[in-house]
Amino acid sequence: MQEDEFEPNIVGLLCHWCTYTAADLAGTTRTQYPTNIRPIQTMCSGMVDPVYVLWALLGGADGVMIGACHPADCHYVSGNYKCRRKTAVLKSILNTLGLEDDRVWLCWISAAEGQKFANTVAKMVDELKKKGPNPINAYWST
Amino acid sequence: MVGAVLVIGAGIGGIKCSLDLAESGFKVYLADQSPFIGGTLAQLDRWFPDNHCGMCKILPIFSRDESSQFCLRRGLYHPNIELLPLSTVSQIDGNTGNFQATLSIKPRGVRKELCVSCDLCAQVCPVEVPSEFNEGLENRKAIYLRNPLAISSGYAIDWGSCTKCGACVEKCPTDAIDLSQEEETRKLDVGAIVLSAGFEEFNPRPWSQYGYKRHPNVITSIQFERMLSASGPTAGEILRPSDNQPPKSIAFLQCVGSRTKERDYCSSACCMYALKEAVLAKEKNPELDTEIFYMDLRAFGKGYYRYYEQAKGEFGVKFTRCRIPTIKQDPATKNLFFTAIGEDGGLVRREFDLVVLSVGQTPSPRFLELGEVLGIELNKWGFCKTQELSPTETSQDGVFVCGSASAPKDIADTLVEASAAACQVSKLLSSQRGQLITTKDYPEELDLSEAEARAAIFLCTCGEEIASMLDMEEMLDFAKGLPGVVYVEQTPYLCQKDALEQVKGKIKEHEVNRVVFAACSDITYEKLFIDAMRDVGLTPSLLELVNFREQLCSINPDHKKQAMEKAKILVAIALERVRTQEPLHLVSQNVEHQALVIGGGLAGLTAALSLAEQGFEVQLAERTAELGGNLRHIFSILEGGDPQALRQNLIKRVEENPLIRLHTETEVIEVSGYAGNFEAVLKDTDSTHEPIKVGAIIIATGGEAYEPNEYCYDQSESVMTQAELEQQLASGKLDVTELGSVVMIQCVGSRDKERPYCSRVCCSQAIKNSLSLKERNPEIDIFVLHRDVMSYGFKEEYYSQAREKGVLFVNYDLDRKPEVTIEGERLIVQTIEPTTGGVLKIEPDLLILSTGIVPNDNNILAQMLNLELTEDGFFKEAEVKFRPVDFVINGIFLCGLAHSPRGITETIAQAQAAAQRAASILSRERLESGRVGSEVNERRCSGCELCVSACPYNARFKDTDKGVVVVIEALCQGCGACVAICPSGAAKLRGFTDKQVFSVMDAVI
Amino acid sequence: MTRSAILEVQNGNLIETLNNLWRQLLEKGLVDALLIPQELPSGINVVQTLVSDVQKLESPNPLSPVMPVNTARIVSQMTKVTPSPKKVGVVLRSCELRALIELVKLKQASLENIVLIGIDCFGTYSVKDYKNLAQDGSSPKDAFIKAVREGKEDPSLRQVCQMCEYPIPMNADITIGLIGIDFEKSILIQASSTEGEAILEALELTDSPEAEVTKRDEAIAKLIEQRTKKRDEILEQTQKDISGIDNLMRTLAPCINCHNCRDVCPLCFCKECFFDSPTFEMESEKYLGWSERKGTIRMPTHTLLFHLTRMSHMVTSCVGCGMCYEACPNEVPVANIFRLVGLNTQKIFDYVPGRSLEDELPVTTYQERELLGVPEKL
Repeated sequence: MQEDEFEPNIVGLLCHWCTYTAADLAGTTRTQYPTNIRPIQTMCSGMVDPVYVLWALLGGADGVMIGACHPADCHYVSGNYKCRRKTAVLKSILNTLGLEDDRVWLCWISAAEGQKFANTVAKMVDELKKKGPNPINAYWST
Repeated sequence: MVGAVLVIGAGIGGIKCSLDLAESGFKVYLADQSPFIGGTLAQLDRWFPDNHCGMCKILPIFSRDESSQFCLRRGLYHPNIELLPLSTVSQIDGNTGNFQATLSIKPRGVRKELCVSCDLCAQVCPVEVPSEFNEGLENRKAIYLRNPLAISSGYAIDWGSCTKCGACVEKCPTDAIDLSQEEETRKLDVGAIVLSAGFEEFNPRPWSQYGYKRHPNVITSIQFERMLSASGPTAGEILRPSDNQPPKSIAFLQCVGSRTKERDYCSSACCMYALKEAVLAKEKNPELDTEIFYMDLRAFGKGYYRYYEQAKGEFGVKFTRCRIPTIKQDPATKNLFFTAIGEDGGLVRREFDLVVLSVGQTPSPRFLELGEVLGIELNKWGFCKTQELSPTETSQDGVFVCGSASAPKDIADTLVEASAAACQVSKLLSSQRGQLITTKDYPEELDLSEAEARAAIFLCTCGEEIASMLDMEEMLDFAKGLPGVVYVEQTPYLCQKDALEQVKGKIKEHEVNRVVFAACSDITYEKLFIDAMRDVGLTPSLLELVNFREQLCSINPDHKKQAMEKAKILVAIALERVRTQEPLHLVSQNVEHQALVIGGGLAGLTAALSLAEQGFEVQLAERTAELGGNLRHIFSILEGGDPQALRQNLIKRVEENPLIRLHTETEVIEVSGYAGNFEAVLKDTDSTHEPIKVGAIIIATGGEAYEPNEYCYDQSESVMTQAELEQQLASGKLDVTELGSVVMIQCVGSRDKERPYCSRVCCSQAIKNSLSLKERNPEIDIFVLHRDVMSYGFKEEYYSQAREKGVLFVNYDLDRKPEVTIEGERLIVQTIEPTTGGVLKIEPDLLILSTGIVPNDNNILAQMLNLELTEDGFFKEAEVKFRPVDFVINGIFLCGLAHSPRGITETIAQAQAAAQRAASILSRERLESGRVGSEVNERRCSGCELCVSACPYNARFKDTDKGVVVVIEALCQGCGACVAICPSGAAKLRGFTDKQVFSVMDAVI
Repeated sequence: MTRSAILEVQNGNLIETLNNLWRQLLEKGLVDALLIPQELPSGINVVQTLVSDVQKLESPNPLSPVMPVNTARIVSQMTKVTPSPKKVGVVLRSCELRALIELVKLKQASLENIVLIGIDCFGTYSVKDYKNLAQDGSSPKDAFIKAVREGKEDPSLRQVCQMCEYPIPMNADITIGLIGIDFEKSILIQASSTEGEAILEALELTDSPEAEVTKRDEAIAKLIEQRTKKRDEILEQTQKDISGIDNLMRTLAPCINCHNCRDVCPLCFCKECFFDSPTFEMESEKYLGWSERKGTIRMPTHTLLFHLTRMSHMVTSCVGCGMCYEACPNEVPVANIFRLVGLNTQKIFDYVPGRSLEDELPVTTYQERELLGVPEKL
């Protein structure tokens, strides 16, 4: 690996019940994936306020992954559905303003899907590498 | 009497029963012969009838911080439950209430308290054997973990394959492995025993006609489940064993090991799981051709028929009614083909890439021995025999049974029975409630409200596991330099007792009030670490765990730089979280120890008694003047038992029980409050009562018989419903000697467009009444026109009996219903005979309509209590499988026909289950919230109620006087949906404040 | 059910005819008070007034083309703590009424005892333009009405009005119909509720010929078409001007973090804004930390975060009234941006703010199968 290759910095807001567990499982099964994700545990994807995602993106994160339970699997009944709606609103805002909504990923990853977690991180890193660094980092005037 | 219970079998039924008992104040020993918990369920990923996972929903709602709050696949912890793996019961002495159980405990070979689940042992183990968990689709070692998610359970040795070469002993960094361990015995004093040992899947190998194990592409349904599983051997890909290629077509063959001469029972769950497997396969690849070959499609549970329709319509799963005699294999392609006689008498020829055998449930062969030890009778198939009209009672006092140990059943019915068994135990041992549960005394939590954050970071090296990836010196330096850190240390094994003692000392010495443990997955030792925190007077909210091991394991050992970088980030995240964390203490609220049961039918009476007999006061409200509901119209039961005697007995016991206050001709007109503290207003014909305070509410408002308007029901005395026939048979009004022929039509008012659900009981009724008619007059010709005969479980035998006695079962299609006309005095029934395609014309003396069950108008009650109804108008439970009698709104429970159509014994079980769930609230002194919970900043709250709509638990409401929203602490589960929707930041989640989240993100961006 | 009646315009004087109508409402006790715009004596502005004495109904003029406040805010102010104990007629433009409906859903206003009187809206000038026109000595309202009658496009109208595709009020009890009507002769009064019908009854108005209604409907359709076209033109330009981080930063360059846009927004209902909360009271080391991350940061901080977060909070309910732009001291095109984002976002949920009290706010509900494109497919 080259020293100066761009390494995207991904903030992972991962649901305690499913996706965070999947991250654990990926480790237990020694499934390799890039280290670019910064896993932050949340109680539920339903608690992910759009402002968290904005904070991360405007703060310079190259990507934000919201890890949630699959539809209807939510321990708290419907947090993931609510998250999906809020994410749709947020993405629409970003998209309309030309702010690269594809830096925000909402992913359904169950506790048993360690492999999927690893694949998702890998794919996200790959795509963010193609996109390059978050352009916001070039601006101090935000 | 002893306030402890032995639960045998740690599958989902045993776990549920244990949790229910533990939650209502009993000590539970949960024993399993295997080294791991979870049973069959842990092998499955998703469930019918909604393709979802919802296991975590069975975890306790109240006082949740004391039990584990993780995906159940990772493990289970509750302070009142002691897990006893590798244990079999060898002897039982004593009597009900005072048993002494002797358990033989096989050696694990691994000392659990030392095992850190590092997997090094398995890596060096030279022995490979097929993995049971993955059904032989993959190998495991002789020292192993059943499932990689379950690391908290520790490794175990499979003595059957272990060669005792000692490689693992040498490798183990904590000296946890001991190959010389010997079997131990342990004696337990328990008041009651619950058998929940489940089933074994039928081994289709002896059925040589299907070529299982000979034809590689013939697999069992449970093997297929493992393939569908994301954590399975194929990581969720469906692959043909012969060539590891994805199949283009899959056949599912039903009734493998069920509904045969040797096993004349239905395994109850296979139709549904085959449907689910086909649907999940289709979800993965819509191009896939899936076909289910079945005899009767038994989709009889709640929501199952809709699921079936969805599988057929939306997913395009094909269904063919026929039993496949033999499967042949093309030696070149390894494809499978078969020929059978179809429903229409023609030949069905098919070729498939993969064939899945839907294997049935068989009793475990060790039941024979276990039955003897426990002194319980088994039935002729080897399942545990239960008492008439008491589904969880065995032939031995004080020994109860639940789940598939007594009859094949699915998860939802298993969990209902698990709670019902817990209820029966609680009744028996109610005087000993709370006697044997031990609570540890911790020092009072320090008041840190004014204290500055002083953090310590303890880095575990996990022997070489972590240390080999990280430069620990550099890590220590890094940690030291972080803000607010006053102490940093590394330890080889943080999880070991001495290490924790030292940690506690350091915390005190350095006046540390924020702690970061960087070790391994939180499931493994969280409880241990929390305990250590509480020992030094710190609330667990001031502890943050970093999952070094699992999060670093996945990094290639050659990439040390990346590992260091990631480790630093993980520590930074944890430190920032804990540094900005306020100390959180538990709050609790009082509980009213009385219940309100709404409805005085079978379900309501049973529920009321089940609570009163545990010592709780009950207010029982019945709308009509008479108790007994629909039970009044039932005079016999297919499997035996006298419903009228049951009714009279229940009424007598209810009337005589001093703890039950009975209100007939009374309706509930208003309910306010929440779990533990409801206030309900009852109104009878004369007046509105003073509000009563109750801690829990049980809805048992029943359902109604469908009133037919089809098949000339109103036009002839000779057309009647099954209930009317039953009554006439019971009263002797009907002269059966005069009858020449009788036709019964099934699914009248069920399983159609308007009511797309199965009423579950009508097929049994038809079989029961047919047998009854035949018994009285064997000469009667009886035709049962049906769509699928729902004689699930042991009802199958009666179906066989009816056929043997000459009852003719003729299938009809929904779009080709029988036609009934009246010509003069004569009734004419015409239906299409499926095998010939010709019209079968019968002129019966009697036409019996098997009318289904329809819901009452439940809207008013649902609105009053903020509950949801299903599309069909029944009450909607919290989760169809894992919380089958609970509502999302806590403190309210559900049973009987208000839930869905079901038979008498099933209703009894469900009513007991609902009572037990209510008892888990009523038995508490106080309801405790969790540390993570939501709050409202009143000054900032605009009262927009967005959070009220977002809260799934009704834990928020608006105080109209103040114009702000208020949180009911005990109901809040801490999900944070309120926070995400509150625009002003007035909603706050303790433990996850906005500022904390921002701070944590700042630390890593 | 809508009932349409005819109100003859006396002497070709529309304003006077309407004044008579307002007076009758009070005199006949159909309402106890009237919330209605009146011209200030200086003539250079028109403000909302709450009139309970008919004698003080001096210069009502809800047709005057200026809107210093979105009246939904005022109705919220009046009815949030307790619903109105007396019947109050509230005269509203479409964007005001739509905002009010949203506020009712957000529990910030109550319609109890409120009679909603909507008026067809031809658009408004900014307060400044109106003032300048008035000071020029010309009568802005007469000129405006004349222009409307002649069907002229008025490029000096506020841009949000030029592109407003909701010229007629939704959910009013009574609508004062002007579009497509020869209001020198008569105007159309439409009742869309029993409350409204009772008023029509009490005013003893005669039913309108069907042809008048049809004429109006056709004119509305045409107007909406024109405005939609205009909307698309304007927003296309907006999209070009602001899209992409470069453009967006340029657009926000004049923002001085005064948060006026939020203060006047009818949908920014919070008692206290998230951005004024203790969450944003940061320690100095935080600022230094951010500064160190990029070398320098703009102070005060969080300009873009503020706008985007505010958007995420209220954009699904944004009615495009444009008050934000009016309040901006430096002409940041916030109204156009919010309109553009609002349109794109509301479309996802087929949500039209103010369309109906029955439509649930998009973020308070969900369907199990929807938005299948939002989660990343792997």
